[in-house]
Amino acid sequence: MKLSFSPEDELFREEVANWLADNLCGEFEPIRFRGGPGDEHSFVEERKAWEQKLAEGGWTCIGWPKQYGGRAASVEQQVIFNEEYARAGGPGRMGHIGETLMGPTLIAFGNAAQREHYLPGIRAGREFWCQGYSEPSAGSDLANVKTRARFDEGTGQWQISGQKVWTSLAHESQYVFVIARTDPDSSAHKGLGFFLVAMDQPGVTVRPIEQLTGTSEFNEVFFDDAVCDADDIVGAPGEGWKVAMGLLGFERGVSTLGQQMLFQNELDEIVRVAKANGAACDPALRQRIAEAHIGLRIMRFNSMRMLSGGGDDGSLQKEAMIYKLYWSSWHRNLGKLAMDVLGAESEIVPEAPYGLSRLQSMYLFTRADTIYGGTNQIQRNIIAERALGMPREPRG
Amino acid sequence: MDFTFSEDQLLFQDSVRGFLVNEISPERLRAGWETDTGRDPALWQQFAELGLTGITVPEEHGGLGMDAVDFVLLAQECGYVALAEPLVNHALVAVPLLQDIGGELAARWLPLAATGEARIIAAVEQNLMVEDAHVADLLLLEREGQWFALEQGQFSCERSESIDPGRRLYTVTVPAGAAPIADGERASALRSASLNRGALGCAAQALGLAQRMIDLSVQYTAERKQFGKAIGSFQAVKHHMANVAVRLEYAKAPVHRAAYAVAEDAAGAALAVAQAKLMACEAANLAAKNSIQVHGAMGYTWEVDLHIFMKKAWALANTWGDAGWHKQQVAAVIFADGAALGAGATFQ
Repeated sequence: MKLSFSPEDELFREEVANWLADNLCGEFEPIRFRGGPGDEHSFVEERKAWEQKLAEGGWTCIGWPKQYGGRAASVEQQVIFNEEYARAGGPGRMGHIGETLMGPTLIAFGNAAQREHYLPGIRAGREFWCQGYSEPSAGSDLANVKTRARFDEGTGQWQISGQKVWTSLAHESQYVFVIARTDPDSSAHKGLGFFLVAMDQPGVTVRPIEQLTGTSEFNEVFFDDAVCDADDIVGAPGEGWKVAMGLLGFERGVSTLGQQMLFQNELDEIVRVAKANGAACDPALRQRIAEAHIGLRIMRFNSMRMLSGGGDDGSLQKEAMIYKLYWSSWHRNLGKLAMDVLGAESEIVPEAPYGLSRLQSMYLFTRADTIYGGTNQIQRNIIAERALGMPREPRG
Repeated sequence: MDFTFSEDQLLFQDSVRGFLVNEISPERLRAGWETDTGRDPALWQQFAELGLTGITVPEEHGGLGMDAVDFVLLAQECGYVALAEPLVNHALVAVPLLQDIGGELAARWLPLAATGEARIIAAVEQNLMVEDAHVADLLLLEREGQWFALEQGQFSCERSESIDPGRRLYTVTVPAGAAPIADGERASALRSASLNRGALGCAAQALGLAQRMIDLSVQYTAERKQFGKAIGSFQAVKHHMANVAVRLEYAKAPVHRAAYAVAEDAAGAALAVAQAKLMACEAANLAAKNSIQVHGAMGYTWEVDLHIFMKKAWALANTWGDAGWHKQQVAAVIFADGAALGAGATFQ
């Protein structure tokens, strides 16, 4: 056990901080601290330009192996990058799905041609991805996917038909990864394929969904004989579930560190507000802020523990399953805390029409946290059955 | 940055777990409630033979020279069996305190601590009562900013009953004219360090207690059938346990982090310990609450063992600084002007 950063790591910190100070300014000044949870719809073009700026400096995909354009950065370095990025007010990352989910999935499960074709666009901050998992009938029961993929011998392409829903930033993405049924007679997690599909084609229609925040960050995506090439399936037909679950494993890895730093910025803002408006003198609020602070530290310690391999049984599965339930509940409480710290002021919308403050957006957005990516109830089922070994619930 | 324990540390934990689970059954704990001292010299002797009484005693005094990181996993195991013997206080609090005090006192008592001939107990003003004063061969006691070293027979103590029948609590009277061994700033530094170690010991034991209550509940709900099915298959039951599992798993890293801070005598140790104790004791108390619920009426009986662990968890949560006290420590740090909270300080 050794819980400190090395001198080399501290040099790396300085390098990151300097680069951000020199580059996150000027035209990028307006997007500092923007585009985080609940604010993803803001400054999209500017944030895409920022991704390319990051890429020029070699600051996208830093955890990827060098052969794919990454820096093979250690876990410590990725922690440091995320810390400094948040401290500098780095905007919500447009490229995070490609960088933290699609890229690692292609590196782990894809073939050489797929990596060559898709990784450079992600690394360069030019190509953005969205996630085609949920469907109207496949929410908590994710394996109940109805979207179909049929291989057309004539054209040599896959043809995909069906509907996806809750697809974040589909309207800003060039590609979507889709789980679709390759075997029409299959059910549940058997007979699925994992496809890489271009968004800009006649067979793909995106329709935004207005959220209770009044903004639209997610969408319905309709596939009507949309096509992709024969080689655009990751793994073999029938192996889609394995790839899809492998991808979710990356969602709970290093990518969590960036998220925690966004949380830190939110908490810092709440502390500032509490000090300014006197809420910090209210013993009840003071204790809740202390609890929130502890909760965030605990997430951080756990990520570090998980990433350094300090799990009970050597595998990270238990903690990985546990992470979603913990952070989403914590963040939902933080949203409520922010409103309670603001008090009566929390109701007043600063800008008409319905231009919510950052904390108001955050509060509303946190209501989605305990639902997307597996509801808290589903997470508890999984934890009880897989981690604790409790008897399985009968399923229909 | 490395959160892992060494193979040796894990092996030691395994062997201690095996020993404790074998030796300390709930029946044996219950039998201990009925004896005069509630403590078992034969068991203490076995601890000595395993090296446990001397685990934190420096090698030159006959011990193993280990630190809080080495011991924290063992303290978890002590919690798992609701150990009544004062091993955690002795090894994690009193022996390191004795080393800090140094001098003749340390030179005389450390070898006796190592061999198990002496049980050493430490207590600070923060503790309402002194646990196990009746079996302390040497009591290191802080009162009103002064430390006293009192041998058995040099102080009088009056027993109060604990809600946990396994705990023995005493009001200790320092004899008039006893000379303090430390006062002023030095006493205050010794108190802070002892509080950190004592609270860490509670936190580590709370992890073990929570795990024990989960294990009992998972087993019970797999066996108990209603509506023709094991009740553990019902979501309303399993979600109670999932909530505990999450709290427990998440409390481990802060406890291990606090052990590291204590072992390294790091500047932020008090904060790390406060976080650890709050999280671990919350996990254990939630484990108690939810475990009793899923046991149904059986969980409310004296006969079912659950309450042994529940009461210990409850008692530990309120000793060596209760939740309110530790939360205030954290709040004071957060709201301090110029507090280092953001990047670069997130590992505090």
